[in-house]
Amino acid sequence: MTSIGTGYDLSVSTYSPDGRVFQVEYAQKAVDNSGTAVGLRVKDGVVLAVEKIKHSRLLVPHANRRIMTASKHIGVATAGWISDTRHLVKRVRDEARDYRSTYKVEIPAKIIAERMGMYAQAYTLYSAVRPFGVSTIIGTVDADGPQLYMIEPSGQYVGYRGCAAGKGKQVAKTEIEKLNLDQMTAREAIKEAARIIYAAHDDSKDKLFELELSWVCAESNGLHMHVPQDLFDEAIQHAERSLNDDDDDDEMEGDDE
Amino acid sequence: MFRNNYDNDASTWSPQGRIFQVEYASEAVKQGSAVVGLKSKEHVVLVAVKRSPNELASYQKKIVRIDDHMGIAMAGLTSDARVLSNYLRSEAMRSKMIYGRALPVGRAVNAIGDKAQTNTQEYGRRPYGVGLLVIGQDDTGPHLYEFSPSGIVSEYYAYSIGARSQSARTNLERNYEKFEDMSLQELVVHGLRALRDTLQQGKQLDTLNTSIGFVGKDTKMTILDGENTQAYLDLLDEGEAMETE
Repeated sequence: MTSIGTGYDLSVSTYSPDGRVFQVEYAQKAVDNSGTAVGLRVKDGVVLAVEKIKHSRLLVPHANRRIMTASKHIGVATAGWISDTRHLVKRVRDEARDYRSTYKVEIPAKIIAERMGMYAQAYTLYSAVRPFGVSTIIGTVDADGPQLYMIEPSGQYVGYRGCAAGKGKQVAKTEIEKLNLDQMTAREAIKEAARIIYAAHDDSKDKLFELELSWVCAESNGLHMHVPQDLFDEAIQHAERSLNDDDDDDEMEGDDE
Repeated sequence: MFRNNYDNDASTWSPQGRIFQVEYASEAVKQGSAVVGLKSKEHVVLVAVKRSPNELASYQKKIVRIDDHMGIAMAGLTSDARVLSNYLRSEAMRSKMIYGRALPVGRAVNAIGDKAQTNTQEYGRRPYGVGLLVIGQDDTGPHLYEFSPSGIVSEYYAYSIGARSQSARTNLERNYEKFEDMSLQELVVHGLRALRDTLQQGKQLDTLNTSIGFVGKDTKMTILDGENTQAYLDLLDEGEAMETE
């Protein structure tokens, strides 16, 4: 929804007459202009995927990472301003470290989500700063099983079974809703996440892009890491094949290679 | 570029989700003279065009040594570049003193990226008005990074920033796949060729306005200025003479 709140939109400490904080909405626009990020929470783990739009052929492949790790078992994928992303990931890492130091256990997913929500929200209170232009997707496996949260520029955070942010979020969300996430395994989810990113990618706008794919699950020993090369290649093949079949099929299981 | 309500400070988003102050800072980078960076399997090279404000003045230094294994080239506000390079130098020294090892290049650039990001989020501060190409050699090989006022840091095979750098980038995009196996000498000459594309009509690269820097596995960070660049400029001219024959 595009609207300009002329006069009430110059600082984040100003409400508009109809109760909106426009600076936060504009920060959300920055997220909507960036490459798509997707998170899937499945039976035995969490999968994160990001559409990294490349502005130049000269960029080193696999170098400019968008999915980062905190505390070894927490995965952070973002859509939005990359430099704000690093600021937030640093905060996730600091929070995880401090929690572990105080309580001697790893920070649970809902606590880290809450803390990041509060941190992001703090930047929406004062005119001296601006909101983060990032939607942060946090995935991990803790004592309650696989967990997935998304924190938006406003500081609002919600737990999801599947979520998406960025340019292709509408297409991605439609695809995610078709999946049976509770019955899926992480291995299957990798292929689906890749397929969804490829489907959400708008070839007419940005030709060059790179997929980044990561997971936390039993197969990764509960650690967050980028998906092993062979599974990554399979996922890309599956995605490219699905793209070439003109209709989007509802298959959950990948074809056997 | 147009003036609007949303461009007064770095703590204001525009309705389209842009931060104009950061974009304007990037314009400052485009005002600086061009620098080109490119890497092979073993080496990474920087070449730069220096400017002088008038005939009596010296040419502004563009390439700065950070440590034996790292160097930077700047385009934009040189005073901002000084601040960042001093910071990098102290970080490099800290790494040697505390951990007994050379500062990994990726960490160094992320550190200045994060530093720059805080300047894009608070009222009363302005973004850094300089872009840097950072080269370095560490355990994972030679690296080339671009640092920009937004705080975004990206790693490249080859890149160029500064005035008319798009011409250099086009040249590099066409040729970068050949760089991997090139010798240091060939790499420098290719860099100069790309750099030459950024010059205005009638201008030439000469020993006064050219600066060359490189580092590699067995090569410490070295900067060549003045007469020391003559040899490479000659190779560049030879190559050109051969092309036109």
